[in-house]
Amino acid sequence: MFIFIVLPLICAGIMPLLGRISKKRGPDILSALVLLILFISSVFIFSPSLREPWQYIQSISFLGEPIHINLALDSFSGLFLILISFISLMISLFSIDYMGIYGSKPIYYALLLIIIAALNGLVLSKDLFNIYIFLEVAAIASFGLVSFSLEAESLEGAYKYLLLSAIASGFILLGIVLLFGVTGSLSLDGIKKAMDIVNNRSIIILCSMLFIAGFGLKTALVPFHSWMPDAYTKAPATFPAMSSGLIIKITGIYVLARIFFNMFKINTGISFVLLFLGMFSIIVGTFLALGQKDIKRMLAYSSISQVGYIIAGFGVGTYLGVIAALFQLFNHSIFKSLLFLNAGSLEKSTGTQNLDEMGGLEKKMPVTATTNAVGLLSTAGVPPLNGFWSKLLIILALLQAKLYTYAIIAIIMSVITLWYFLIMHRKAFFGTLNEKWTEVKEAPFWMSFSMIILALSCLVIGIVFYAVLKHFIVPSSMPLIGFVKLKGFLP
Amino acid sequence: MTIFILILLVCFSILAVFLKDILKSALSLAAASICLAIIFFMFHAFYAGVFEISVVAGLIIVLFITTISLTKAETQVKENLMVYFLFPIFFILLIGIDIMIYEKLSPGIPAVSGTIFSGHFGNILWGKRSFDLIGQICVIFAGVFAILSLFRGKEK
Repeated sequence: MFIFIVLPLICAGIMPLLGRISKKRGPDILSALVLLILFISSVFIFSPSLREPWQYIQSISFLGEPIHINLALDSFSGLFLILISFISLMISLFSIDYMGIYGSKPIYYALLLIIIAALNGLVLSKDLFNIYIFLEVAAIASFGLVSFSLEAESLEGAYKYLLLSAIASGFILLGIVLLFGVTGSLSLDGIKKAMDIVNNRSIIILCSMLFIAGFGLKTALVPFHSWMPDAYTKAPATFPAMSSGLIIKITGIYVLARIFFNMFKINTGISFVLLFLGMFSIIVGTFLALGQKDIKRMLAYSSISQVGYIIAGFGVGTYLGVIAALFQLFNHSIFKSLLFLNAGSLEKSTGTQNLDEMGGLEKKMPVTATTNAVGLLSTAGVPPLNGFWSKLLIILALLQAKLYTYAIIAIIMSVITLWYFLIMHRKAFFGTLNEKWTEVKEAPFWMSFSMIILALSCLVIGIVFYAVLKHFIVPSSMPLIGFVKLKGFLP
Repeated sequence: MTIFILILLVCFSILAVFLKDILKSALSLAAASICLAIIFFMFHAFYAGVFEISVVAGLIIVLFITTISLTKAETQVKENLMVYFLFPIFFILLIGIDIMIYEKLSPGIPAVSGTIFSGHFGNILWGKRSFDLIGQICVIFAGVFAILSLFRGKEK
């Protein structure tokens, strides 16, 4: 398991040197190769039978001597390892043709690989302080990617991102300090055991508030969302694809799920707060996305709204709610990465992100138009795509918990999502072709390849959704739902 | 001595919020962070002190200052006056939380003796917290590459 952290880190270190030796293709090949190795390893390491939290512990040794590094794995973290390596592999392949316009590919790939090492480290750790350090690593490397274009707006977005990230870290660190002070432990299971003995409700409430504020900022939940649209708009499209697809999910939702399901027992109060924040994000994100002309800004607000569905699913707190949230998280990683890559393809071909300047690009860019249609229909929850099934499960979970008003709001917001995405698609691809775009060409091979694979994933997962649920999502939710009332529909 | 450094910490933190020059504000934050690290060392929390200096006082501030140096003050931005009203409220709120923690929650804390962090800094780091070293290496890598990516533009 150590390979998931060390291999990207070593390759990030040698990337500048490789860039000098083979400027043109060396960094592209190394990055794609490393991520392919990690993807294959993650598929082999995933085991649906690891249903207890952190069931498999690997102690690292060097020349027979233990070096006190313990990595923990269960089916929940195993699913995230697959997701990290698959999405980042697609982004790396897309970058081969896309990042040429920004230059300095070795530095770009180094930052990308450091983020991947940090996300893997976070997923494989069960120690709160380790998690905190890897959060910082991901934030600093993300700062480098947000500011990569070096335009004034991207620097402003990066500054805002770093500032709010530092505030989030402050909240998280204060929560960790309080827990360590009370329990004397930093490991999640150690804290859980100690809290059962100490049973200090005030500390649990205070730490829960601090963690929700801190990780809410990382996840960009409303009202902690202000950094996201600014950070995404002028960054290379691969960053929002990486961030919306992976970073906010792992540095925010993954850790929140671990804290509230494996460390503290989820209770009615926490459940209500998560549900409320989730629904609030769905509503605010959807309405803010409606009026946007900038494609990346629209997708950023859409991300805020879609993450709301995931948090609402976890907030329901039932067996079905957790499974639905995890399925929505898995699907959202795929279709939102796809939509951001589509936006990158449009931006590279036309040089603009403004939807009002586009139009009639369908004939010039058929691959981008088709994959964009798949991504947006999936996000809006249109059958038979993957997004439909996860949203359906979330709505069923809300209905099962007798939260009828919330379920109706979720359905209405899903329809509005479909509305603004259809407007976006029409503005970009339908209508008469603007004279400016007569010379526009389809995205190059590797960009098209990664978009097609992601679009096919949306379609295939949608068609075989039951098998994906049964063999991946349900076993992966098992380490979380030991504390949840079991009254589900699913096996 | 502790009281003196605590007062300095609060003063530098307030300056970081209220200074209009963003560069001076970042430097005040660095000074506040160093004060906090000194307090950690005084309380024998060497581990926390080292991380505070290296990550917060060091790396984050370098990134702030580098970003500021790359942006030009082309337009004057009118500052939001809300900060003057909100800051005192949050300040009092945090003091309240501090008092609550120290007065009500600290009795019976089991963490002070015999925890995993007892022992010398070296023993703790090498013997019990080796994984944090990997994280620290990642932090340094991330900082170096983030700064390289910022300065590649200046070279152009």
